[in-house]
Amino acid sequence: MSWEKELIDKANEIIELYPEKRSALGPLLYLAQEKDGYISNDSIIQISNLVGITEVQVKSVASFYSMYKEEQTGKYLLSVCKSISCEINDSRSVIDSVKNFTGLENYETDNDKVFTFEEVECIGACGGAPAVQVNYETVEGLTPEKSLQMCEWLKEERPELVVADELQEKFGGVKSFDWAIKDNTGSSYSVPGFQNIGTAKEKNL
Amino acid sequence: MTDQIKINVNGSEISSKPDQLIIEACEDSGIHIPRFCWHKRMDPVGMCRMCLVEIETPRGKALVPSCTTKVSEDLVVETESEVVKKAQEGVLEFLLINHPLDCPVCDKAGECPLQDQTMAYGPGESRFVEDKRHFEKPIPISEIILLDRERCILCARCTRFSDEISGDPLIEFIQRGNKTQVNTFPDEPFRSYFSGNTVQICPVGALTSTSYRFKARPWDLKKVSSTSNCSSVGCSIELNVSQNKMLRILGEDNEFTNQGWLSDKGRYNFEYLHSEKRIEEPLIVKNSSKKPNINEAMDLISNEILKGGDPNISFIVGHNSTNEEYFALNNFAENLKKVENTFGNIDIYLSDDYLYSGFFNGDHSLAEIKDLDSADTIVLWAQDIKDNLPTLYLRIKQAVRNGKKLLIFGHTNTAIKDIAEEYFGGDIVTNNFEFNVNISDIPNFSRHIDGKEVIAIVGKASPLQNTNPISELIQYLEANSNLKILNCFSKGNTFGALQNLNLVKGLNEFVNEFDISKRNIVFTIGANPVNNSIYSLKIKDSLVNADFVVSMDLFKNETTELSDIILPTTSLGEKEGTFTNLEMRTLMQNKILPPPGSSLNEWEYLLTLSKKINLEQVYDSETQLNALLCKDYLDEDNIPSFDNLNKPSNLNGVLNSKTININIENVDSTNLEILFVHRLYGDSSTQINSPSISMLSSERFIEMNSATYFGSYMLYSDVVTLIQGEISVQVNVNINDNLPDNLLVVPINRRGFQNINPEKKVELEVAKSREQLNVS
Repeated sequence: MSWEKELIDKANEIIELYPEKRSALGPLLYLAQEKDGYISNDSIIQISNLVGITEVQVKSVASFYSMYKEEQTGKYLLSVCKSISCEINDSRSVIDSVKNFTGLENYETDNDKVFTFEEVECIGACGGAPAVQVNYETVEGLTPEKSLQMCEWLKEERPELVVADELQEKFGGVKSFDWAIKDNTGSSYSVPGFQNIGTAKEKNL
Repeated sequence: MTDQIKINVNGSEISSKPDQLIIEACEDSGIHIPRFCWHKRMDPVGMCRMCLVEIETPRGKALVPSCTTKVSEDLVVETESEVVKKAQEGVLEFLLINHPLDCPVCDKAGECPLQDQTMAYGPGESRFVEDKRHFEKPIPISEIILLDRERCILCARCTRFSDEISGDPLIEFIQRGNKTQVNTFPDEPFRSYFSGNTVQICPVGALTSTSYRFKARPWDLKKVSSTSNCSSVGCSIELNVSQNKMLRILGEDNEFTNQGWLSDKGRYNFEYLHSEKRIEEPLIVKNSSKKPNINEAMDLISNEILKGGDPNISFIVGHNSTNEEYFALNNFAENLKKVENTFGNIDIYLSDDYLYSGFFNGDHSLAEIKDLDSADTIVLWAQDIKDNLPTLYLRIKQAVRNGKKLLIFGHTNTAIKDIAEEYFGGDIVTNNFEFNVNISDIPNFSRHIDGKEVIAIVGKASPLQNTNPISELIQYLEANSNLKILNCFSKGNTFGALQNLNLVKGLNEFVNEFDISKRNIVFTIGANPVNNSIYSLKIKDSLVNADFVVSMDLFKNETTELSDIILPTTSLGEKEGTFTNLEMRTLMQNKILPPPGSSLNEWEYLLTLSKKINLEQVYDSETQLNALLCKDYLDEDNIPSFDNLNKPSNLNGVLNSKTININIENVDSTNLEILFVHRLYGDSSTQINSPSISMLSSERFIEMNSATYFGSYMLYSDVVTLIQGEISVQVNVNINDNLPDNLLVVPINRRGFQNINPEKKVELEVAKSREQLNVS
């Protein structure tokens, strides 16, 4: 499916922000990711027309960066950190508990397209290790039990928006910083919530 | 800054240009640094790390890639130290980790930089015992190019070429890390006019062409340098032959013309040489059972010439002859004229609808191609450059990349609008190719022209164009800028014909001067005017009404069908001679193949005929012809004789000019509905008999802008039937919004279009589906 007019207008607004059209490629790929949960070939054709480069050049960028998914993700992308700080703080058992609950191996998506599981390198939350991201919204200080509860909650509640502060309050523990400003925006799909391109959405908590 | 700086390489001092890369400076001084990714015609990228050298820095010695590091005064470079050798061994060991080492079945083996450099600089053995990565063995990335991703060492030469040089980046790196691979986008094949160059510059056997795959081993090839007939740029090429068969054409780096690149037509249009359909014996067309030998054929022709009745003798000549052959033809015609009271008019016509008087003979200052690199502005008013002069397009593109401003006048060069500074379309130029406004009033024009160095690439954009606007444009440019002109006649050796024929006329003149009340003898020499001219129908009539028609050609075609006798001739690689390109540079065409069957060169036929009808003989070899034609060159110190052209200093050709006489009437149209264009790939008998590229001309499409599409024709289908009188052709419609309203672009060199009248409106009907046509 090619893009709806609304999305194309949004894309054009983003392109306006840059001196050269092709510079908008990254954000536009996030729009495509938010639309389908992956970068579809149709979206690539659409983006190539919008920024004036060839399809394969768009594909080249989209396939290089691991946050642009080539296969459709579930509604909730679970990214569990496996880097050193989390590893020391027993991220292995968090990983195992998430894997056990979802029944997924690395980079797999379940049949209902609810969860995609991936092990990732450092997500910059060492102070609150072990940490997990759900749709790139970070939860820190998790335990195997809490992570299990979080997965169960996601599966039952199916929140439209995933918001870091909400997850942290419900399931998190130690945080890297406790003076951060309250933030009630979150992400609805496997794409980071950016306010300037509109992938961050507000939730009344 | 001085012109030269000194650097120290391996203990000895060499001089280098400032701002040069270390690898280039060393190359110029004869010191070879191994490399895979660096190519002197492309930007450096530093991908392969093979060119690592040691330089002295304030913090001690450091290994740097010599392809991305520039020289500086007194720089100390080591290219053969122990550290460098260790680095090279390491790099090669890494490169070979995933390289399949299937050299025994690889076409590149024997001329493979990876193979050669592994022998010269490699560690000798590998410590890698794990599995190599695997990909599906060659995948076709276009009709003519195959890609074997296992062999690829990720040097990015092909992707950089397609991006920087040819400007159609349809291949790119996909994925990353161990999975990195070159590939195309699904359903978007690598359809580029220049894709063959990537095969030539690939430093491994990852990219191969369908025409050469598994055909030969490099060490079995016989090679000779020559010049391509593909366009009037005269690209330098190397012919590769094995067992008397042409197997491959490679581009040679000629600084002044093609700089190593070729179009795919120039590169792959050679298989016809060995086609089964090639004519190898003289043929009497109307009585195919009778096969005369050469002597009988010559008797037949000379008897017709001497039969009496004051015959008019006309020669229609194509653009693939050598200068020597044009000279021999001219000589033959002149000698016929000297015979008293026997013949009527004797005239030579060049088979090219785009010919007109041009700008020659000292009244104008003529440009060389290299002037594109030093000009400020390039003005283009001509037929489609990318399709007709593909390697000149690469030079223009390179000039634009280096900051030169390109100004294009419509409506033929829409495909390269993207690289133009200004594109003057329908607002400025009418559908009949006349100016809508005063030249001085063209917006944003004068600021790129006034007082600047300007190159004008000019020629007729359409066969039916009044050339006065071109003259006006040139007058304006000459008055306001420092102008040099590149005359844009695009076909093969057109300029050789112009230089060596005393008087050149066009096909329109042939049709108009053809006097049906007289006895007429017509020679067509390497020309097929019945197929690809807008005068086709009239020429056909003339040839049908002519009393005797002799065709010299390689294949039977629409013209030879109407002739009485066909004489088989020779083609590229089968004859020796010289070629003159569009900047009047004369280059050598060398012979490496024997002529097939009893084919003779055109000049040999003319010589034999001269003997039969007792004309004066002044030559009996190419060398003598060459010596004779060299007498007329204006610059006597710089003559393009065979001897001179074979000197090492002249391998890039010799610039010299002759007086040029063109007598072509200005043809006008006040009502052009259809713009005929020549596409790179067409239905020439050479291309349709070259299996590797014959399919590339199969698509029939017309172009129009969306206003015409939706407005005038109210079409809602991409497949329509084009109807004009009795002609009806099913075509695809491409929308091109750079075209003006109510102008249809039709490729004349693809089958089905040649009899359309460009001044009459055509009807377009949505094509019927199979059900409507009742096809079961």
